[in-house]
Amino acid sequence: MMMASEDEVSLLVIVVDVNPIWWGQQANREPQFTLSKCLDAVMVMGNSHLVMTRTNKLAIIASHCQESHFLYPCKLWKFGDGHGDENASTSGDGKYELLSVANDFIAEEIKNLMSRTEVKGNQTDTLLAGSLAKALCYIHRVAKELEAGQEMKSRILVVKAAEDCALQYMNFMNVIFAAQKQSILIDACVLDSDSGLLQQACDITGGLYLKIPQKIALAQYLLWVFLPDSDQRSQLVLPPPVHVDYRAACFCHRNLIEIGYVCSVCLSSELDFVFSLYKSCIMITFLMNKPYSLEVFCNFSPICTTCETAFKIPLPQVVKSKKKKLKPST
Amino acid sequence: MDEEPERAKRWEGGYERTWEILKEDESGSLKATVEEILFQAKRKRVFESHGQVRLGMMRHLYVVIDTSRTMEDQDLKPNRLTSTLKLVEYFVEEYFDQNPISQVGIITTKNKRAEKLTDLAGNPKKHIDALKKAKDSTCGGEPSLYNSLSLAMQTLKHMPGHSSREVLIIFSSLTTCDPANIYELVKTLKALKIRVSVIGLSAEVRVCTVLTRETGGSYHVILDESHFRELLMFHVKPPPATSSSECSLIRMVFLFSLPPGFPQHTIASISDQDAKPSFSQAHLDSTSGGPGLSMGGYFCPQCQAKYTELPVECKVCGLTLVSAPHLARSFHHLFPLEAFQESPLLLHHTERFCEACQGELKDKSVFTCPSCNSVFCVECDLFIHDTLHCCPSCIHSRSAP
Repeated sequence: MMMASEDEVSLLVIVVDVNPIWWGQQANREPQFTLSKCLDAVMVMGNSHLVMTRTNKLAIIASHCQESHFLYPCKLWKFGDGHGDENASTSGDGKYELLSVANDFIAEEIKNLMSRTEVKGNQTDTLLAGSLAKALCYIHRVAKELEAGQEMKSRILVVKAAEDCALQYMNFMNVIFAAQKQSILIDACVLDSDSGLLQQACDITGGLYLKIPQKIALAQYLLWVFLPDSDQRSQLVLPPPVHVDYRAACFCHRNLIEIGYVCSVCLSSELDFVFSLYKSCIMITFLMNKPYSLEVFCNFSPICTTCETAFKIPLPQVVKSKKKKLKPST
Repeated sequence: MDEEPERAKRWEGGYERTWEILKEDESGSLKATVEEILFQAKRKRVFESHGQVRLGMMRHLYVVIDTSRTMEDQDLKPNRLTSTLKLVEYFVEEYFDQNPISQVGIITTKNKRAEKLTDLAGNPKKHIDALKKAKDSTCGGEPSLYNSLSLAMQTLKHMPGHSSREVLIIFSSLTTCDPANIYELVKTLKALKIRVSVIGLSAEVRVCTVLTRETGGSYHVILDESHFRELLMFHVKPPPATSSSECSLIRMVFLFSLPPGFPQHTIASISDQDAKPSFSQAHLDSTSGGPGLSMGGYFCPQCQAKYTELPVECKVCGLTLVSAPHLARSFHHLFPLEAFQESPLLLHHTERFCEACQGELKDKSVFTCPSCNSVFCVECDLFIHDTLHCCPSCIHSRSAP
């Protein structure tokens, strides 16, 4: 294996789903695997990444249902008024200072985050798309601040707990395409229910998707599967890619279809009138729990119900029958 | 000139009294002025949305590249042809990024003739390979506008009514050699609703001005290479759709992907056809060699023809094959992100950090999203509008999409 040179920086951003409702229920379901155990595993992963190469960088974002908060690094450290100063020299067990400071800080931040937020009735979904968007902006900034001659490779690891929020489809897709354009891999480690959105993200950006069979072994799976970076992955035997279902759901019958009809006007639509209708169409299909569907029609209908456009129906060509010449009988 | 509107050539105005822009501050340094100029240059790149206009999403575009004698001129380094081909490669990549369900074809013209370099296709690789090979070709003779336009017209007139038909000509010569009256051809193009735009490399030519004015396209002459790139990028965005384009239901197919080389034994739910290696339709036509047999691929549900990449139009039954993420890529044109409001940093005492990247706000102005009032730095503003197409803070509020 090649030694990474001083000029290669590898940035890992870990986005952890800290949805308080899911974790609260989890504490009742499986008391041996709680949010603090999960964060312990994430910290082990983060520490390992920092220790692999001196130039590696790390960021951790907690994805909550009201905000996305950067657990690490702290934006105040640059000014010297960070909390790290007092605790830095007292790690006690001889651990590399950077790691102990980081771990303490992460623990502190997550406690503050969970205690200061009140969950209101309808805000129960994790804002994953928002956290990913912030992660991309952070990666973009760090890439600009590199020294001359340094190259950076970045990837995002998502640790997902709660279910998908179908309302985020559009934003999620925007984020995925932005990540693909910047060559940023999105890996997903799913704790509970499969996530169609993350499967698409991993498929499009070239990352790894894994639903782990035993939650208490989270640290082991993170270190085995997600610690090696993209260059090293080709030399390892990792879990096989999942089969992603990109089929659309038809608007009228909710069946998954292969051949459908899409209104060309809706595809290039007038914003002021159709916008609200288009949004409501998507809302309807999303409520049926198929986050990656578009409004399509399974049968040819003469009027688009979304935008009331009458369609030009292609008529079969009328072939003129030739008059047969009767041969004169001799 | 007769019916043309009077236009003064004001590009020269940009070069008057350029020394007045530079101002020294108290210590005699020009740093502040230089930073200001850089800042303004960055702001120019921000995407301006069309607003409440219908856009043509399915586009059929022909790029006509002039490969006549004048392309050997070295005013663009290393010569005009190499520079143009490199920029057109970049254009093709960006074009498919912004318009994933559109198609592009390339035509070259020299020696008073026109020939197709590549046919209309939805896959960028073919075009980029052809452009790379064309770098070795020789330039010579005179171009022919008539021949290249009629060649493009032959294919474009069969395109369905709901898609936009466009031709982009990169024209370097000052002459054109036509077998017939080009003004008749312009009338035909106008009747077929084909929009022709020209990017001139030498100087303004009257026949191009008339051509673009009649068909509704744009005509610009480049100043230098970076201006050339800017003008090309202008054509990447979907143009406003004409009100007369027909409305029809497009038959599209949404396929589930089977990556090539997918191991056989894990495909339980797919039909038997996938188990055998088969030839892809694209490989049957291509002359690039290489093994044609592959295990995985996409099968057209109607005729079971196999293709290795999407999006593509099925050669057997004419069905448009896409996957849902391709259409999702076009969404940001339908729901463009509003431009953020610029305001000086001094007004914002409370925020020290950019909401998105957590970096310190140290530019002289900050940008505020009008919907959620979050504050962003200038780099994040550019990144959000060029690449991300959604405000990171707005996503945190409940409204969808």
